[in-house]
Amino acid sequence: MGKASKLNIRRIVIAALVLYIVLLLGPIAGFDIPNIAAAIQANPLQLVQFLIIGLANGAIIAIIGLGYTMVYGIIELVNFAHGDVYMIGVFTSLTVLSLTGTLDTDSPGKIILGLILALVIAIAVGAGLNATVERVAYRRLRNSSRLAALISAIGVSFILENTGLIWAAQSWLVPSFGTTGGASQKVFPDLLGKIMAAYGLDVNLLANTGIALRFTIKDLMVMVLAGAMMLALRLFVQNTKMGKAMRATAQNRDAAKMLGIDIDWVISTTFLIGGGLAGAAGLMAGLYNNTAWWFMGFRAGLQSFTAAVLGGIGNITGAMLGGILIGLLASFSDGYLNARWTNAWVFATLVLILLFRPSGLLGEQVGEKA
Amino acid sequence: MNKHIKTSISIALAAGFVAFLFGGWAIVVAGGIAGLGLGYYLFGQSKAQKWQDSIKEALLPTLITAVILLALSIFQNYYVAAAIGKKPIPFNTMLQANATGIGGLIFFSFALTLMHILPLRWQRIAQIVLLTFVVISFPFIDKFTGLRWTAQVIFALIFTILALGLNIVVGFAGLLDLGYAAFFAIGAYTTGILSSPQHGIFLNFWLVIWIAAGVAGIFGLILGAPTLPLRGDYLAIVTLGFGEIVPVLFKNLIKVTIQEPFTCWILPLFRIQTSCITFMQDVDLTAGEKGISPIGRPILPIIGEFQSNNPIPWYFLIIAIILLSVFLIQRLRDSRMGRAWMAIREDELAASQMGIDPVRTKLLAFAMGATFSGFAGAFYGAYVRGIFPSVFDFSVSIIVLCMVILGGLGNINGVIVGGMVIMSADRLFLPALKDFLAGLLKATILPALSSNPTLRAAVEQNANPILYRFLLFGLTLVIMMAVRPEGLIPSAQRKAELRSDEEIAADQAAAEAQA
Repeated sequence: MGKASKLNIRRIVIAALVLYIVLLLGPIAGFDIPNIAAAIQANPLQLVQFLIIGLANGAIIAIIGLGYTMVYGIIELVNFAHGDVYMIGVFTSLTVLSLTGTLDTDSPGKIILGLILALVIAIAVGAGLNATVERVAYRRLRNSSRLAALISAIGVSFILENTGLIWAAQSWLVPSFGTTGGASQKVFPDLLGKIMAAYGLDVNLLANTGIALRFTIKDLMVMVLAGAMMLALRLFVQNTKMGKAMRATAQNRDAAKMLGIDIDWVISTTFLIGGGLAGAAGLMAGLYNNTAWWFMGFRAGLQSFTAAVLGGIGNITGAMLGGILIGLLASFSDGYLNARWTNAWVFATLVLILLFRPSGLLGEQVGEKA
Repeated sequence: MNKHIKTSISIALAAGFVAFLFGGWAIVVAGGIAGLGLGYYLFGQSKAQKWQDSIKEALLPTLITAVILLALSIFQNYYVAAAIGKKPIPFNTMLQANATGIGGLIFFSFALTLMHILPLRWQRIAQIVLLTFVVISFPFIDKFTGLRWTAQVIFALIFTILALGLNIVVGFAGLLDLGYAAFFAIGAYTTGILSSPQHGIFLNFWLVIWIAAGVAGIFGLILGAPTLPLRGDYLAIVTLGFGEIVPVLFKNLIKVTIQEPFTCWILPLFRIQTSCITFMQDVDLTAGEKGISPIGRPILPIIGEFQSNNPIPWYFLIIAIILLSVFLIQRLRDSRMGRAWMAIREDELAASQMGIDPVRTKLLAFAMGATFSGFAGAFYGAYVRGIFPSVFDFSVSIIVLCMVILGGLGNINGVIVGGMVIMSADRLFLPALKDFLAGLLKATILPALSSNPTLRAAVEQNANPILYRFLLFGLTLVIMMAVRPEGLIPSAQRKAELRSDEEIAADQAAAEAQA
């Protein structure tokens, strides 16, 4: 018996054991196959509904995940604070919308103008914040141990979360925050619904087609915007000189430096782009989920990081794919398993990928790095 | 000499800050700690051979510290206290407090400096005697002066045990564990389940604490095993995932049904009739968000059952647990296993070539680290009497990591100091600072703002340091990593590893230039 087949038998036994444990203990966390089958049989169309929700959420996760994957690709740092940059993006856009009076107006033109302004400012704030974080907290640690940079990133994450907590308490700035303090979830008004209502349209685009599904303007907005951003990023990385420099730096930083590439500027640009995407994702998520919360960045960050790892960290297409898969997983878990356990399922996925395929779906073998 | 003066001024300002915030009797504790700190520093720097030299060395720094501390204390009592709307304490009490505090400062400072002339063996004994005196006298001084700090110090000590345990994993073995709160939670919940009305089991605390440590250790093995192939940041993220899952478990295990899948639905699918084997049916394991309470307290002969209104027995119990932990961790560090941990940390590949089994070594690091948090969890459960899943979230893991990093990765003394500093900042100083600021604002700015109620409310609401505690922890991490990644009291090996080669060369050059 060869060594390889012995190893295979061992793997099969381990896999069977894991499967049995999942079947035995899974029902506690909602993974109850007979129940799920019954639910799907009772209403098969619901499957499509969860698919739509999952795709929209996955698009947002993918946009945030791009920031993780680009930074990891270039300096091999898990930018722990990235999810919180996204959270700051949510609060920035909500504040801009409030200050410009967009929250109080009913005129669709003004709302659209306000939204565009909010998008621009959220992107600018996200980009600037992310680049500043890199300059202040990561740059000088570039040559020390990777754990030092990670710990610094966790520190930044805590600072930003606290900023969000304080921000959410400033009702003099944004009156709709109310007096419940910074820890409670805040409402992000449904502005897209308002626009539709102003034109006398239904929020649900499938309302008059006779299909018993909800595909709202929000779903459409998120998917279109996310698709456009991903396409733009791809084109940028593939076709521009800066994109080329980024790829070169990711491959070998020292060699890129020798060839005259300004490494610091390339890394700053990476953080700028990642932060800008996170800021935009902030506005999109706010409009989509209609909440703003100081802690939302932590969960979203972990889901997006999982997505980036699932797709193959450092790989931009992979982050998009991973984001959509994680979005689907989360939405099916919410729908068919148990919403209370969704986070546990996402983490379990992360652990399983890292254990069995640390290079992700589309990544090349990273060996030592994992 | 210049350096001595600088150090004594900074110690004096730190201690003065404490006295300044709390006022009154706090100067006793502030002076004592300042004396210990200054003495420890002078002891380390001392070149004295004779006792006269020692006295000379200690004289000026001690004097400077004492004068600054005294000045701040008096200033606080007669000017600041009035300004922030507190009543200054009477002159006699003030005199007693300051005399005790400054006396303590001078005593500790000189005593520690003088120790340097003793032979090595006696130095150690003298240090232990001094430390024992401080530790034993603290709760009684606290009670006598009415500061009521012991209860908070007990929390600080619980977290110090956690930091000591995390130090095994992060400091010794170099595995960044971001989900350490999970083991704390497992220890606490084991205690809760085994000695509360939740399941009607009431085991003795002295037994439960060992079971809790054991269960936490076993979970260290179970959760450590899947992470073994991972390195560095991936390992950190996976442990973080576990740290997030465990509280979710405790929150949601309220209606647990476990049925054997084959007999219950897989075989019936193929029309084979079996009887369904059910292990559990709707069992409420953890009581969810309600939490488990009341948890049984320890009982000793003579003292009887520990009461929540008398912190002194609890204090000595936790001191005993810490002493045991420090003893065990020191032995572990110097054992074959401890050296294997450090070898793995420095270079896993090289270590495994030298015959160290990385799997066993890493697993034991996780298990040992988890065991100590099991002690902490059991004590916490019994002390607080109730446990809730929300207590064990991600921030706990990061606060403990903060302590380890602030104090010094891999250094037991450093970690203890880091734990005490972070926790007393969190539990004592921030609330005191809040009162101080509130009083100050009320006396100064707020009346001027009364014409603008919105601004007034905003200032009043935001001038609350407790709101910024995460920010402070985050800043601690960022600043420590940028300025002093090896921590306040570094272990020499870890310092070499965390700094890049050029920095070390620059440090050495600077040291040589000074000498």
